[in-house]
Amino acid sequence: MIVEYESKSSAVHRLDPRVKFAWMLAAIVISVMWTHPVYLIVLALAVVGFGMLAGFPWSKIRGVLSFMIIVTAVITLVQGATYVPKTVTLDEPARVLFHLIPGWIPRVGPACPIRVGGFLYGVGMALKVVTVLVVVAIFGFTTSPSEIVQIIARVPFMPYQVGFVMSTAWKFVPVVQMQMRTLMDAHRSKGVDFEQGTFAEKIRKTSGIVLPLFANSLSMADTMALAMESRAFGSSRKFTFIRPYRMEPFDWVVLIGSLGAMVASIVLLAVFRLGAL
Amino acid sequence: MASDIISLKDVTFSYKGSKRRALDGITLNVKQGECVAILGPTGAGKSTLACVMNGTAPRFMDGSLAGDVTVDGMVPAKVGTAQMASRVGLVFGDPDTQLFGMTVEEDVAFGPANLGLGYESIMERVGKSIADMRLSGLERRAPHRLSGGQKQATAIAGVYAMLPKIMVLDEPTSMLDPEGKARVFGIVRMLKEQLGVTVVLIEQEVDDILNLADRVFVMRRGAFVLSGAPREVFGRVEELRQAGVRVPQIVEFGTLIGAAETPFTIEEAISAITPSSAGVGEVAAPACDRTKPDLAAAPEAGRAAQADPVVQAVDVEFTYPGGARALDGVNLAVGRGDFVAIVGQNGAGKTTLTRHFNGLLRPSSGDIRVLGRSAQGVPTIELCRHVGYVFQNPDEQLFCTSVQEELKFGPTNIGADPHVTSQRVEEILGDIGLTKYREVWPKYLTKGERQRLALASVVAMDPDVLIVDEPTTGLDWVESLQILDYLERLRDEHKKTIIIITHDMNIVSLYARRVVVMARGRVVGDGTPREIFSQPDLMELACLRRPPIADLSQALWGEVLLTPAEAAARLLAVKSQATGVCS
Repeated sequence: MIVEYESKSSAVHRLDPRVKFAWMLAAIVISVMWTHPVYLIVLALAVVGFGMLAGFPWSKIRGVLSFMIIVTAVITLVQGATYVPKTVTLDEPARVLFHLIPGWIPRVGPACPIRVGGFLYGVGMALKVVTVLVVVAIFGFTTSPSEIVQIIARVPFMPYQVGFVMSTAWKFVPVVQMQMRTLMDAHRSKGVDFEQGTFAEKIRKTSGIVLPLFANSLSMADTMALAMESRAFGSSRKFTFIRPYRMEPFDWVVLIGSLGAMVASIVLLAVFRLGAL
Repeated sequence: MASDIISLKDVTFSYKGSKRRALDGITLNVKQGECVAILGPTGAGKSTLACVMNGTAPRFMDGSLAGDVTVDGMVPAKVGTAQMASRVGLVFGDPDTQLFGMTVEEDVAFGPANLGLGYESIMERVGKSIADMRLSGLERRAPHRLSGGQKQATAIAGVYAMLPKIMVLDEPTSMLDPEGKARVFGIVRMLKEQLGVTVVLIEQEVDDILNLADRVFVMRRGAFVLSGAPREVFGRVEELRQAGVRVPQIVEFGTLIGAAETPFTIEEAISAITPSSAGVGEVAAPACDRTKPDLAAAPEAGRAAQADPVVQAVDVEFTYPGGARALDGVNLAVGRGDFVAIVGQNGAGKTTLTRHFNGLLRPSSGDIRVLGRSAQGVPTIELCRHVGYVFQNPDEQLFCTSVQEELKFGPTNIGADPHVTSQRVEEILGDIGLTKYREVWPKYLTKGERQRLALASVVAMDPDVLIVDEPTTGLDWVESLQILDYLERLRDEHKKTIIIITHDMNIVSLYARRVVVMARGRVVGDGTPREIFSQPDLMELACLRRPPIADLSQALWGEVLLTPAEAAARLLAVKSQATGVCS
């Protein structure tokens, strides 16, 4: 997860996990369907509002967002320079907005025209990527892995082992991270300096921890499997530890709001092309 | 008369690809409600025996099983996992690899859910297990945020929630601090006495077993070499030693003083040596046992540390990035050639402090001094030439594909002369008894051998100071002594300074010259083992439990003695004095 789950008592944290999942699903579907930047900005603002209601720690995704902004800026420019979409809202999608190499540069400029249609399409793409990232981060921040397992357990025909594998992997990420840190510390204690040397040398030094990490993880997995076997894992065909959830009024509001918005946007897009560029 | 709930007759088990029998003709009958302890060195076959009882051997572990095994009327190898799991609960030593839930409650629910019970039934069992194992209030906590004792209690609760009639606990305290051990032994006692569960306890802690088990079995090379009531088994001192099992201190004392009837408790030991007692025998000279180093010299060593410290912490404070304050103004100086044991419960700051000495951690404030110079700004690659650090788990510090390469790894990194390194490696291979394994992948060695190799791989760098974090965790008594003897030789013959972090007070009694007690990120006690063990308040503050012989000597002479040999020698001296006075 981009942001780790935090146990808090915000209104969003208290929501039924199925409702949070429905919200996430709706936001992703809408952002995938819409291509118009203005609509996508409205969606992004709604997502940000939901995040604020959850007390989302925005500073924790600053790094990822900065990286994504660079990536999406490149996408926007590439789209602007290479693509002219068929649009329903623009009169002249092929109109040149500006040149990447301006006219005042002698001999080469103006060159590389950025066209309105492609540029706006690129901005829309960028907004989609960032919105989906934030939506998933908010879901991860407000929904515990246990709740995710509970959601998976309710999916028909889904083997409950899938949920177990997910939660176990989740739980063991910090264990493996800690083991990696210890292995690196043990290397340092034996005179290995990970900061010194060329890039190739650094790769070679770091690869030294791979074999023991792999061997230790296998050995840990073996012991775990024995412990699971001893607790009858896999002997029941269905997952019976399904917590009964009770929908509160706010759950209904968010659920109806999310699913309603999703259905409405699909219909409006299909019929009136609302949300399309 | 209770019937046999476990019945094994002439059972043998061989792992696939191994010529040796892991179990070799085991016959064992356990009655319902009984508590049976199984002792023995590592590799004796104890864990294999546990897995045979719940059927995971041979169903899960590849191998061939012969003989008759009946557990609660079932043949474990022939019935399904669920059927056996609800009859025999198996708990392992490492709690981290047997906790699967994201919360305590979910973990305890894991077993009942696998049995396909309904939600209400699961929650009923979960509630009872959590209450019975005294975990109430921790239901929503993530297991990895619990203390070692709480984690193991959660693992036991998870098994107990499946309502087994039999619980097999495979070294459940091997990775715990004294407080955690006490908690687990308390649970075992409750399982046996209040909940009527049949318990098979595989353990190394002989002093606790003595008062807990109804019967004791000692295993060696896949077979039982001793069995009977605890008093019967622990009274056979020589056979215990031959089997590689530590003799309980009070029993050892009784043997050394030649008591007619072996004492098993402090009260019995006192009555055995009271003049009015009929059971007083001739006191044997305690030459056969390991004797304590001259403890009178220890305070001198402490003073030497002030004058010529090899490592020193000055007002050191340390806060982890998450905000947890681990060290709170630590001042400590360790002198050249000292043998220091740092003790205290988990989370007291022991490992955090020692990791500062080779630069793995840097103080938030204060200073670390190595060989008289501040370590500030000195990289770990430089500090590790002087301060060697051996981690708790050997598997996290063995990286190479052969024993020989492992020993050369450190010296090569710090640019040691290859010729000198080769000579040193040869010498060390001999010292740690691994010469014949020089080309073997370390992963194939036993835990004790891997621990020795991990230590030796740091010794090969020839540091002035050796810090060894929990050198005996998961090892049997003989392996533990091998490690500590090696450390002692390094100190005596190569003038190394040794700092160990340990929970084992028997090891502290035998080897440490100086004990540093830590609690809540501070040094709260510093002195010889005798001085530290003489302060009950300090021991309580740090959640430590002194060895039984210290309790006995305190009761007898108002003074703490550290080993059975020392106590026997004192008795001999007292007797001689009394004889002299009388004559």
